[in-house]
Amino acid sequence: MTEYLIRRLVQSAVVMFLITVLTFGLIHSAPGGPTKVFLSPGLSQQAAKVQAEHLGLDRPIPEQYLKWVGGLLRGDLGYTFKNHLPVGDILWPTVGHTMVLMGAAWLLSLLIAIPWGVYNSTKEYGWSDQTASFISYIGFAMPTFWFGILLQELFALKLDWLPLSDMWSLDKEGQIGDLLLHLVLPVSVLTLGFLAGYVKYARTSMLEVLQQDYIRTARAKGIHEVRVVYRHGLRNALIPIITIIGLDLPILVGGATLTENVFNWPGMGRLFVEMALAREYSVLMAITLVTAFMVILGNLIADLLYALVDPRVQLGRKGGSTA
Amino acid sequence: MAEKLLEVRSLTTGFAAGQGLVKAAEGVTISIDRGQTICLVGESGSGKSVTSLSIMRLVEFAGGMISEGSIRLGGEELTTKSQKEMSRIRGNKMAMIFQEPMSALNPVFSVGEQIAESIRLHQRTNAAEARRRAVDMLRLVGIPDPHIRAKQYPHELSGGMCQRVVIAIALACSPDLLIADEPTTALDVTVQAQILDLLRSLQRDLGMSILLITHDMGVAAQMADRIAVMYAGVIVEDGPAQDLFEHPAHPYTMGLLRSVPSMDGEREESLYTIPGTVPSLHQLPQGCRFHPRCQSAMARCAVESPPLEGVGPDHKTACWLYDNSAGSKEVLSK
Ligand SMILES: Nc1ncnc2c1ncn2[C@@H]1O[C@H](COP(=O)(O)OP(=O)(O)OP(=O)(O)O)[C@@H](O)[C@H]1O
Ligand SMILES: [Mg+2]
Repeated sequence: MTEYLIRRLVQSAVVMFLITVLTFGLIHSAPGGPTKVFLSPGLSQQAAKVQAEHLGLDRPIPEQYLKWVGGLLRGDLGYTFKNHLPVGDILWPTVGHTMVLMGAAWLLSLLIAIPWGVYNSTKEYGWSDQTASFISYIGFAMPTFWFGILLQELFALKLDWLPLSDMWSLDKEGQIGDLLLHLVLPVSVLTLGFLAGYVKYARTSMLEVLQQDYIRTARAKGIHEVRVVYRHGLRNALIPIITIIGLDLPILVGGATLTENVFNWPGMGRLFVEMALAREYSVLMAITLVTAFMVILGNLIADLLYALVDPRVQLGRKGGSTA
Repeated sequence: MAEKLLEVRSLTTGFAAGQGLVKAAEGVTISIDRGQTICLVGESGSGKSVTSLSIMRLVEFAGGMISEGSIRLGGEELTTKSQKEMSRIRGNKMAMIFQEPMSALNPVFSVGEQIAESIRLHQRTNAAEARRRAVDMLRLVGIPDPHIRAKQYPHELSGGMCQRVVIAIALACSPDLLIADEPTTALDVTVQAQILDLLRSLQRDLGMSILLITHDMGVAAQMADRIAVMYAGVIVEDGPAQDLFEHPAHPYTMGLLRSVPSMDGEREESLYTIPGTVPSLHQLPQGCRFHPRCQSAMARCAVESPPLEGVGPDHKTACWLYDNSAGSKEVLSK
């Protein structure tokens, strides 16, 4: 187990390193790269040189990279070009806000989707199963922003039950109750999106598990059907579900961008759009890195969970784990 | 006179297909005395597994349906019980083991847990006591270092070990009846012999009855007190093992026996196989289901299906060759 953990950590570190190289390389090889963009237009040759030196843009690329990575390791993400603010001060709060939103939506979808999908697998094509399919179609077909605007229109503007946007009301910052009210609409939008896929995964995975010989053995032991499904079946069905959820993380992080913009949620997705428009490269690089880091972390967590539910993984033999 | 433990009468089990029901077992009648081993033999697809799953009432989970007949275990009728009532009998009074030991065990629970679960389910014990008894069961089925093995997972055990664990699970609550559906087919020859030995010695010690399913006449010869031969969903012959081996009545049984390599016979002799194949359930032949492959077939065999009737003491067969009313008692030996 420890050996497995170490191996996965080393792998993650290597991937993370490659991502820093790629991110750095991409931005610096873009036409018009940072030198063109970072310098204020209309500067004299002399002034431009001074500014470039000040920003370290005149140094050789590898040196710039090392300086940048060295900063990263010390938690220094650099400074914005415009007002020279520390990137970390801008980015970290938005990361927290995004995690609150995504975490809530994600947890809620899993809590609904797994029991629901499992139930549907035991009652194939029953009314509950049909309902889930219907909701899936809506979830897949309806554009996030459109559904978001629809909800705002109805629950915020017409009925005035819920706040229209933002994370807190102006005078109530930091109050949990107020935060929860603000979460309802964006979380509903995101949950509908996740739910569509997850109910299906849970159902399919469970259906496959219920075909297995060990389920027949469990029944032959005289285990009651409910326990057969939820104890003997679910533990096994979770294995592929966890994998898929781990692989889904990039979509999750990206998927919040639209929702955050519709609901003016002060998260990473909104920041990304803002900063892209302002061409704040150092912030964009930091967002890319944090996103990549979250994806890697998500996969690592998924793998650890995987090892927790599937004893075969402990020997590092991941092959055939769904058999 | 031995006491009857299991009595299956005219059991018919089918699977829904289109509008109708495809009958995978039809009018099956077998009975087992206490402490006896009966072997159900027949080629692949003859309905042996369907019959055994019907007795366990597990066939419903595979989409099957018992449409007729009665199954009595110790005098208790099983066909009318609910699945909830059946779950108190399964694993307790009767238990079943299967062909693929590796996949028969749940990969995410330790083998000790899987045995203990059965014990806790049917008997009033606490967790610690159940664990202790699980270790005892592992020892009973001949697993060395049972304390260590109990904590291991199925993937850490060999096929033969897994089958021993499966047997331990089945026998954990000392059932009266053990149904073993080809328990050794997936195993190496040497391991096969060990498992069969184990079953025999456990039967001697625990006094249970065994319904052993096999398509290997050699295994049947070794294990059976009685043999029932099944073909295309029906029982074609049923009798005491020795009698059946010495005086097989049904041409199908004769064919099966001829296809067994003899222990003392010349090696050169090429092995006999019954010509033709088992018919599909969707297009069963008229009359006797075996007649298209039978070398003793008569005109009547293609029209009427023969009833299962006595040919000797406690020995029955379903074949027109032995029909008294028609007066033709001549046995065509090949
Ligand atoms: N779940 C099912 N649905 C439909 N038909 C089935 C099902 N299970 C079994 N059958 C049919 O019932 C017939 C008998 O199958 P069964 O598994 O009992 O044979 P068997 O004698 O055990 O053969 P084998 O030696 O291969 O195990 C086969 O023709 C098979 O196609
Ligand atoms: Mg079978």
